[in-house]
Amino acid sequence: MNNSQDTFDQLLKENKHKIYRICRIYAVAPIEPQDLFQEVVFQIWKSLPNFKGKSSIDTWLYRIALNVCLRSKMKLDKNNQKTTRFDAIHFTPVTETIDPFEEEKFKYLKECIATLNESDTSIIVLYLDELSYKDIAEITGLSENHIAVKMKRIRKKLFDCITPKIN
Amino acid sequence: MLEQELINIWKNSSKTAQISIETDQLIHEFDTKMTHIQKKIRNRDVREISASVIGILIFSFFAYEIPFPITKFSCFLSIIWFAFVIYKFRKSKLQNTAEKLSLPLKEQLAHKKQLMQQQVKLLNSAAYWYAGPSFITNFIFIIGLGNPADYNWSNKLAEGLLPLTVNAKIVMITGLAFFHLFIIWINKIAARKGVQPIIKNIDTIQQQIKNE
Repeated sequence: MNNSQDTFDQLLKENKHKIYRICRIYAVAPIEPQDLFQEVVFQIWKSLPNFKGKSSIDTWLYRIALNVCLRSKMKLDKNNQKTTRFDAIHFTPVTETIDPFEEEKFKYLKECIATLNESDTSIIVLYLDELSYKDIAEITGLSENHIAVKMKRIRKKLFDCITPKIN
Repeated sequence: MLEQELINIWKNSSKTAQISIETDQLIHEFDTKMTHIQKKIRNRDVREISASVIGILIFSFFAYEIPFPITKFSCFLSIIWFAFVIYKFRKSKLQNTAEKLSLPLKEQLAHKKQLMQQQVKLLNSAAYWYAGPSFITNFIFIIGLGNPADYNWSNKLAEGLLPLTVNAKIVMITGLAFFHLFIIWINKIAARKGVQPIIKNIDTIQQQIKNE
């Protein structure tokens, strides 16, 4: 493996679950989360040679993931179509260790996130990944203050939606 | 408490699937995909450019062969127009391939919108830079065609192809007018149905971002 291949390999190992979580929220039929995941990974690989290190690699990666996911969901690409599957990426469903209640809670969370608009969705997925307002601001291009104001409203909306469902 | 619970639900959501990636094989697949994409782009470029090159060759032949001065002049105009079309297509493609997915969301949307607006402008102005000039040069070409005998000119191939009688000229000009109107119409449709909805979606997200 050469240097850039090592970086790519490392990047995927550390971030594949983060990317997949975002893809699970943004994938809209007929595009499946796995398809979206593959497209994000492809775009990361394509963009990696142009990474200048002006932002952290995590910020850079989140930007690509969000931009690709939003592009797919909002059909911002004229060539938007189902992507070809790569054989080198395998998704094996984990059934035995999954708590069915946990999966149901995720279903509720997904439903509540779906009630938010696209801008708020992008902010909440980053927030739930425990990113600071500063990082969210760098990824979205908004100011920290703007994020803080928006988060106050998003949090309330999300809690109002999910509390009765979880209880 | 609820906040931490949501974070936990969120973080556990990716544990429903085990993701294994064979990087060596993946890079090989990516390379194959990139080669395929580049080949498709190259073939499309070759198709578009060769259409214009063939046009240039045909009108160069006419300019050399046909003796009628006005038609000769229109051939030179056509050659310039074909060269301009190649330039215009190349320029538009360079602008459209510059996708910047590593920009912050807000800037990426602004960038994408700018690209789409350029696309709409290009499609909506097809009457001025594509159909219009093409029709005018063809019109001059046809009007300029005279009587071959007046110029002691004889070329069976060209004479067989060219509308030399008044009736043939009227039919040809009418046909060309409809053809060029059709080109303008399909470009307008492409802008309205293919690109405008994307701009509308971007506007919606930009508005959402702006709101507090």
